[in-house]
Amino acid sequence: MYYWHWLKNIVRRPHTTGFPTEPDPDAAAMSDWTAVRTGGSTVDTVLRRSVAIRHVDAGSCNGCESELGLLSSPDYDLSRYGFSFTPSPKHADILVVTGVITEAMVPVMQAVFEQMSAPKRVVALGACPMDGGVFRGAPGVLGRLDGIIPVTATIAGCPPSPGDILRGLLAAVDGVDPAVGQEVGP
Amino acid sequence: MKRGRDDVVDMGKTLAADETRYRTAHEWIGAWLSRRGGGFDSVMLTSDGPLLAALLIHRQTGELVRLQWDARRSDWEETRQPSWSGIGDTLAAEYRIVQERPDLAWRAPDRPRVRGKGVFTYPLGPVRADVAECLLYRLHVMGDEIVRLTLQNGYKERHIRDFVCGRTIPEALPVIARFTTTSNVHHTLAMALAVEDAWGIQVSAGVQTTRTLLAELERASSHLGDLAGLAVSTGLPVPQMEYLHLKETLLRLNFSLFGHRYLRGTIVPGGLTTAGWPPNPDPVGYAQTVTDVLDQAHTIAAGLQRTPSFLDRLHGAGRVPPPTVAWARPVGPVGRASGLGWDVRQVRPYAAYADFDLRVPVESGGDAYARFRVRVQELTESLNIVRRILGGWHPGGLSPANPAVVMGRTPEEEYGVGIVEAPRGLLAYAARFTADGRIAKVGIATPSERNWAVIPDTMANTSILQDFPIIDASFSLSVAGWDG
Repeated sequence: MYYWHWLKNIVRRPHTTGFPTEPDPDAAAMSDWTAVRTGGSTVDTVLRRSVAIRHVDAGSCNGCESELGLLSSPDYDLSRYGFSFTPSPKHADILVVTGVITEAMVPVMQAVFEQMSAPKRVVALGACPMDGGVFRGAPGVLGRLDGIIPVTATIAGCPPSPGDILRGLLAAVDGVDPAVGQEVGP
Repeated sequence: MKRGRDDVVDMGKTLAADETRYRTAHEWIGAWLSRRGGGFDSVMLTSDGPLLAALLIHRQTGELVRLQWDARRSDWEETRQPSWSGIGDTLAAEYRIVQERPDLAWRAPDRPRVRGKGVFTYPLGPVRADVAECLLYRLHVMGDEIVRLTLQNGYKERHIRDFVCGRTIPEALPVIARFTTTSNVHHTLAMALAVEDAWGIQVSAGVQTTRTLLAELERASSHLGDLAGLAVSTGLPVPQMEYLHLKETLLRLNFSLFGHRYLRGTIVPGGLTTAGWPPNPDPVGYAQTVTDVLDQAHTIAAGLQRTPSFLDRLHGAGRVPPPTVAWARPVGPVGRASGLGWDVRQVRPYAAYADFDLRVPVESGGDAYARFRVRVQELTESLNIVRRILGGWHPGGLSPANPAVVMGRTPEEEYGVGIVEAPRGLLAYAARFTADGRIAKVGIATPSERNWAVIPDTMANTSILQDFPIIDASFSLSVAGWDG
């Protein structure tokens, strides 16, 4: 039984998708072509690969967390691009913010951003940190990350598919969305 | 309006007749305690105007009762809140009421401090772990042993209960579907059941079956994610990756069948919206995918059962102390792993669960291993139900429901109740509606807010610091469900 599993693994193609650099109908169907936007400021080119991600939840519904968790799965394997998650902001290069931005999380997020060394990037993940999504106007909800800390890239969707999150992370580093193949404006 | 249990209808009209209103807190708590001793479990505690209401469900018959207390005519000096009287099921609601109603003179349940030589406090959070929701753990340790844990939540509160008040149902549903996305089908379903209960709406058998399919797909992917988290907490990335691959496989299946990876926006009061569903699905092909997932999940679980380094970390870790089980009555897989063997799908069947011979796994160990065993068995059960439904499923025959039409009249009853078994346990919505169909007040009881109450006692039950991530993963609670 063990050897059968072993033989099967030799023959089988990997689960990992080539999306966004290679066409993959399954991943592309779940993707929103216009999801990724990068900020107006010129992205410096110092940061290349070996990029540590610190995630901060500022009032999410745990959908974006579920999708972020699946980036580590064999289907997306974000470590291929040099990304890894880090528990400490002091080691982080990219801050990924999910959720509606509650008032209670503003000082926490600012502290995390302060603790990160330059060069650093900030990604607003999902509809909530972009404009509050369906929670716009809820008590204690600011609904916008922009203006609290400088945002490098935004990834639209509720929640964005893991493929789109990969595109957004790559765009935050390179300034180029690999699926579109050119610089994406604000 | 009476309906038999055999009808293909969601819920019989329940409350109305057996509502009792107590004049003093003493009588109210006394009645609550005696019901609780007689086979009832608390579902939720709500405050609406001057009234405080406790909704209870019978663990065998599914009977519902609501005990109300008119706080205007209160005996202040005798007002002891439920958690001080031995009812810990509604602790989270009590915290909310303490803030909302200072006139009640309830004290927030206090958390005694631990002091002494050699006691250290490790703060962990609200930014913690790799990808995690924000919650602050304060671990008080003496050497390696955890002697006390305090949790601080509220960092991500979105005030959904207040935010949806005054809205019509179609306006409220998108917000409710984002309470906890990994159980959004169940949140929407519970709200839909509450609306159907109040309006007296009946839905067809085809809709009921499809709702069961949606609910079980959600439970299966939620359990797969939880099992992946448990595997990696013991330092085993191979089963973690295998479980995550299966979760992704199911999420893609969700997308192919219903057009959304988390099945959001499929259920509406009165039926389903079929608008976003891709045309020409292949249910038989998808049933084969589910069979493969089932086989692989079985192989992974069998492998874990043969891995001593996994079992050694789980056995005896995070045992929920029996007094805490009796006090807080945890629900869902956490409750069923502590010997509380009941499931809403069985005692109060909604959707099409009455047609399925549901097997509810129960373990008595109360430790991380028992919770692992319960989740593994529930996953098998869910995938079997999904496979059976997909085999004879005809989405073409379903006509989309328009909530504006089915709810275009005054509700038959002011109140509606919807209770479901979400992936993490008992989830209930109880709402009061206005004559023009808006939400006047809604009570929401989530399984996570209830089960978080058992975590401090469990962590401080002879666990050491190194057990913390494993115990935490074995509960797999959501903070979004607590900070609603």
